[in-house]
Amino acid sequence: MKFFSRKPTRKKNWWMDWIPILPFLIFCLAIMILPLFYMLKGSFTGSEGQFTLDHYAKMGASIYATSFKNSILLSGVTAILGVLLGTVVGYFICQLKSKRAQELVIALCDVTSNFSGAPLAFAFIVVLGSNGVLTLALQKYLSMDIYPEFSIYSFSGLILSYTYFQLPLMILLIIPAIAGLKNEWKEASLGLGANTIQYWRFIALPVLSPAITAGLLLLFANAFGAYATAYTLTEWNYPLVTLQLGFLLTGEVFRDPGAGDAMGILTLILMGISIMFYQLSVKRGSKWQQ
Amino acid sequence: MATIRKKKSLPGLLIGGFLFYMLLPIVATYIFSIATRWDRSILPEGLTLEWYKVAFADRWFLIVFKNSLVLSFSTVIASIVIIVPTAYWVHLRVPKARALLDLLSILPFAIPGVVLSLGLIRLYAKPPLMLARTPTMLVAAYVIFTMPFMYRPVVNSLKAVNIKVLTEAAQSLGSSWLRTMGQVILPNIMPGIISGGLLVFATIFGEFTIATFLVGARYKTFPMQLVYYTRRDGRIASAYSVISFTIAWVSSLIILWVAAWGAKRTTSGGPKKEKELKINSAGDQS
Amino acid sequence: MSYLVLTHLNKTYDGTTAVNDFSLQVEKGEFISLLGPSGCGKTTTLRMVAGFETPDSGSIHLDGEEITSIPPNHRGMGMVFQSYALFPNMTAWNNVAFGLRVAKIPTAKINNRVNELLDLVDLSDDGHKYAREMSGGQQQRVALARALAIEPRVLLLDEPLSALDAVVRVSLRHEIRRIQSALGITTIYVTHDQEEALSISDRVVVMRQAVIEQIGTPEEIYIQPQTRFVATFVGTINQFSGIMKDKQKGLVTGINGDWELSIAQISQGKIPEGAPITVFVRPEEIHVSKIDKSADYANSLQAVLKTITLLGPVTRLNLDFYGQSIIADIKTVDRHRFILNKPVELSFSREACRIMSDDDFPHDDD
Repeated sequence: MKFFSRKPTRKKNWWMDWIPILPFLIFCLAIMILPLFYMLKGSFTGSEGQFTLDHYAKMGASIYATSFKNSILLSGVTAILGVLLGTVVGYFICQLKSKRAQELVIALCDVTSNFSGAPLAFAFIVVLGSNGVLTLALQKYLSMDIYPEFSIYSFSGLILSYTYFQLPLMILLIIPAIAGLKNEWKEASLGLGANTIQYWRFIALPVLSPAITAGLLLLFANAFGAYATAYTLTEWNYPLVTLQLGFLLTGEVFRDPGAGDAMGILTLILMGISIMFYQLSVKRGSKWQQ
Repeated sequence: MATIRKKKSLPGLLIGGFLFYMLLPIVATYIFSIATRWDRSILPEGLTLEWYKVAFADRWFLIVFKNSLVLSFSTVIASIVIIVPTAYWVHLRVPKARALLDLLSILPFAIPGVVLSLGLIRLYAKPPLMLARTPTMLVAAYVIFTMPFMYRPVVNSLKAVNIKVLTEAAQSLGSSWLRTMGQVILPNIMPGIISGGLLVFATIFGEFTIATFLVGARYKTFPMQLVYYTRRDGRIASAYSVISFTIAWVSSLIILWVAAWGAKRTTSGGPKKEKELKINSAGDQS
Repeated sequence: MSYLVLTHLNKTYDGTTAVNDFSLQVEKGEFISLLGPSGCGKTTTLRMVAGFETPDSGSIHLDGEEITSIPPNHRGMGMVFQSYALFPNMTAWNNVAFGLRVAKIPTAKINNRVNELLDLVDLSDDGHKYAREMSGGQQQRVALARALAIEPRVLLLDEPLSALDAVVRVSLRHEIRRIQSALGITTIYVTHDQEEALSISDRVVVMRQAVIEQIGTPEEIYIQPQTRFVATFVGTINQFSGIMKDKQKGLVTGINGDWELSIAQISQGKIPEGAPITVFVRPEEIHVSKIDKSADYANSLQAVLKTITLLGPVTRLNLDFYGQSIIADIKTVDRHRFILNKPVELSFSREACRIMSDDDFPHDDD
């Protein structure tokens, strides 16, 4: 007897099934893939069209290196802040007795995680600018003059405003994981003689670790790629990768296309790796839901 | 637990602090937009709707508002047209392509707005393809940029409703592809489409970066005008901010409401697929 | 002094009483089941013993010392949950080792003990597996091994088998009993399955709506139910109405006097003459024969055979008795003796005929 294979590709004209999705694939190719490949090529192309590694070499120097350093620092710090605070706040949100209150706070997180960019930057200027509400309040009630040591237009200002949208993003990410911590695990561990700290150390945190890792990676990528918030606050005065790229893009004439390409590719690599590991963490996390 | 009783105030304090951090900037902006003057005192010196009047009086206001609306709606429609049938077809007929689509739909997360703009300008801004700096190209870029936001809710909707069985039932009753799509599939994945659409709309309406680089002064958008005023007149900027904020959170609330409505609607009969639904929500990105 | 003593435990949630005046004395090594329908308070009682709930009033004593306010991680009790509650981030081996590691037992000893326990539950080759890689029955055995690892003074099981399929349930419950017997651990077992409770317990506590209905051995519960609820909840039983006629001779009659039964003196309790009662007889205690064919039994009634249903080794006869329905179970091999719609004779002993008075709160005689 002939053995009939179950592989669908054996079906005649299987490629016909792919025709309806061609428009989508072509669209992605044209608008997403090809431009990136063009950038890749451009990053290795010198001004006379020759192959060169000069653009990448430039990355190790002055303004470019500084931008990368700052961006990584900013993204790293706000990611860690966001993860730590987000996990703690998320945990306490899950402990709230009223379902209504929980839903309200989560809705708030949903809304604020999308607030970034110019309106947010402006809001922070209103609150913590040199004449901001909080600045004045601190002066008046606590006799604290935070300026000129602090400025909303500086690195600390960036940290404050970036954390604003990082925090709710992390909360939204961690809440399903915390909700997935079954009460019985805690009771079982207590019944076996462990105390609360041991429960967290050996069971709860390990179970939450995929979500926490996912959070770190997502928040990092999120901060690294942000532009509008930083631009509104600091314009070109604070070297960040995205701002540098923007600087190279403004004006009708390209200032240094090769450098721009190299920066772009490096950024893509950094963010691509983050997002890839983020996906892996999410998949690992879903295995706990058994 | 003795330890938790002692720290009873801690959760309250933390959540309170969190709420304060989240709400203060928003509330401050709203108040600033209706304050006569607010840079010398804790409370605004007076209240007025002056700044809104000035903002609306400017002829640019209507132009940028219209532009942003047009961009947002166009992106939503383009997004639906490009993504929904593809997601449906792949889900139904070409499961092997699902992995590819999943990958493509998450790629935009790794591409910051500046980088996408850079790539598009480099490739398309030279003769003969002077396409780059047109609103059309902007919409195309936006569709890619918001692809994860549209793709995921739609795919979740497709999974929650057993579209394979529905399609087969429709076909056995003699329905054409178009009718099946329009009368059977679309109505059932509507919650996903609406959620995705609203998210895309809100995102594009507030999008500054790509718009600035791709079209710049040729096609001014609402956020671009907002940034312009940030440097020139904070009070007008605050009026713009309020409008921006309001559209964003109204959209979010509608999304939440639609998601709840959708969950009720798509509770189809038949054996429970609890495991599947659980895995979906665990693998969901924001 | 009994090993585990629960005295007048009470627990109320939001105005609803979950446990009402629960008292029980458990001997060392005894296997006690808490049996009842959902919501009867059996799980709440168990959780109070474990320390996850605090009683509103009452006390718990273990081996002479009061443990009512001791937190659960210091009570030395092993708990097995309905949903297994295995830690998902650990292998079976590490799950079992967990309690030992917490107690800072030296590694060599831990290794021996874990292997010993996995062997005991027949999972020596599966120690490296995670919960998601195991069947429900395997997970529950790991949960059992984990609870036993810490050498608990009391073993608590909360409906451990209800999530498993029927075949696994039967074999696993016997394993649990076998292990418990071998180790001699005092055990409290919560279940809603009466067959489970009757087959493996030393004593059963039947509960209903926060209250204890009866405490007794499986035999006492089944053969001598003390309340209407226990009689009807455990097994199948016939009930029909009558009147207490003569206390000295031990006679009850039908309401219209159409029939008469003699009962054992002890069953009368405090029921006055003339009081309305319900007669309880188990289907398998009824001997069915042709009219006038059995003189050996103290009681006989006539009834008309309405239906014959084959249930397997037992065939159930449904009979009409003066408008009331009676079930009698006979051996399937004997089923051909009987013809539908013909009268038959039902006979049973005095002891099989239990009566209870018809008031609203039938409880034990004090």
